Amino acid sequence: MDERERKSVKSDSKKTETAPCSSSASAPEQPKTDSKPGDDDELKIDICSDKFDPLLALYSPTAPPLPFPNIKCFNNVAEYESFLKGGRGRAKPENVEKKRRKAMKGVADPERIERLKNLMVKKTESEEGESSSGTTQRKRKQRPQKNVLTRMPLCKGSPLGELYRCVEERIRVKVHIRTFKGLRGVCSGFVVAFDKFWNMALVDVDETYREPLFGEAFYHEKALTVSRLFEKLNLQEGSGGDEPVKKQEAEQKSSKHQSGDAKTTPKSCSAQPTSVKGDSRTAESKLLQEVETTQGKHKVSLKAQGPQTYGRVHTRHINQLFIRGENVVLVNPQPL
Amino acid sequence: MESEGAESSVPAPVEVFSSIRERTIAENSMVVLLQGLQGEVTTVDLRNESTARGRVISVDAFMNIRLADVLYRDRRDQLTRLQDLFVTGRNVRYVHIPDHVDIMKTIQNQLSKIHRVRNFASEGGGRKEFPKKTK
Repeated sequence: MDERERKSVKSDSKKTETAPCSSSASAPEQPKTDSKPGDDDELKIDICSDKFDPLLALYSPTAPPLPFPNIKCFNNVAEYESFLKGGRGRAKPENVEKKRRKAMKGVADPERIERLKNLMVKKTESEEGESSSGTTQRKRKQRPQKNVLTRMPLCKGSPLGELYRCVEERIRVKVHIRTFKGLRGVCSGFVVAFDKFWNMALVDVDETYREPLFGEAFYHEKALTVSRLFEKLNLQEGSGGDEPVKKQEAEQKSSKHQSGDAKTTPKSCSAQPTSVKGDSRTAESKLLQEVETTQGKHKVSLKAQGPQTYGRVHTRHINQLFIRGENVVLVNPQPL
Repeated sequence: MESEGAESSVPAPVEVFSSIRERTIAENSMVVLLQGLQGEVTTVDLRNESTARGRVISVDAFMNIRLADVLYRDRRDQLTRLQDLFVTGRNVRYVHIPDHVDIMKTIQNQLSKIHRVRNFASEGGGRKEFPKKTK
């Protein structure tokens, strides 16, 4: 302690020595304010200068100017020593960064959001266009969207998948429509969209259908079967035009007519006024095609006049049509 | 349908369902196309061979259709004018889509509406935070 006093005295004396050199005053007092010019004072307080006077700096009313901004100030040498050794909470670069981040925790940081965004993209295929907000929403939206349009291609490998192929390749399809008992008609068009119920949206539709029957004809109407349906289909393709698109007793008629049996034709003729007139019309066409007997022709002409009052076949064109799946019997893609 | 689960308390506009169940059914079927036709004048062919032509007020997930200002033609071609007609979904056979309607676009629009509403309802409490974060 004595040494320190001596040292300080020495330094004081040194300073007092220097002081008189620069000034005319002889008094060895440290705080020389008025007599000195302002520059000197500033120099004394300035830490970096040669003329730094620590006592002056300590007792001056204003704090000495710091050479660097945000410089760390210590209260004594011991504190400085421990700081140098790297004690708890020393300002390593990483610690500084952590403290800064912690301080700015609440604030939405664009950089942080970017980092999160990148994470999101790596994890899942988010189909959301706007992906700006927090992570909790992402978890909800991460599942791929499932709606009627996305479900269409999912059907591949099943009959509906075949229908999807018709959508993709724009294949014309014929959709058989049902009445509650039997076939109503055929819609020919291009499928735009469909769903699992076979509800379909078609464009450029040509519908060929037959009016429903009433009364006796209805009663005698034979129930539609798959075989009859396809026979009707073959018949329709064979004859073309606006053939009636209804069921008929094709087997019986065709066999009968092919045999050219005179007896059978009268039978069938008598049966026909009471039977479904659609049958009669198909029978008529068959007669026209196959049987060339005069009897047949005669009968045909008679029948031709008969079935015009009810159960007529109509054709219409509709640009865009929606069909409820419940009414669909089958879908027949048209070969190109 | 009764409302279920997390719904928005705002009274639902005409386009939106009140129940999640109906929304899901509609979203996964072609009913969305018919819902996109709301407001259009169309012809609905019924299962009983009759037709109804009028403005579509609403279509629900089960294809029940409500029409207004309807010209109803029964199967004997007898015309009747009706102010309001409700058709059960099962009785629909065809719905004629007006020529000016784009099928794919309508479906996509309807799906995006449903999607938006669904997110709105589920984000209930957190809705306020959206504007801040997006800015």
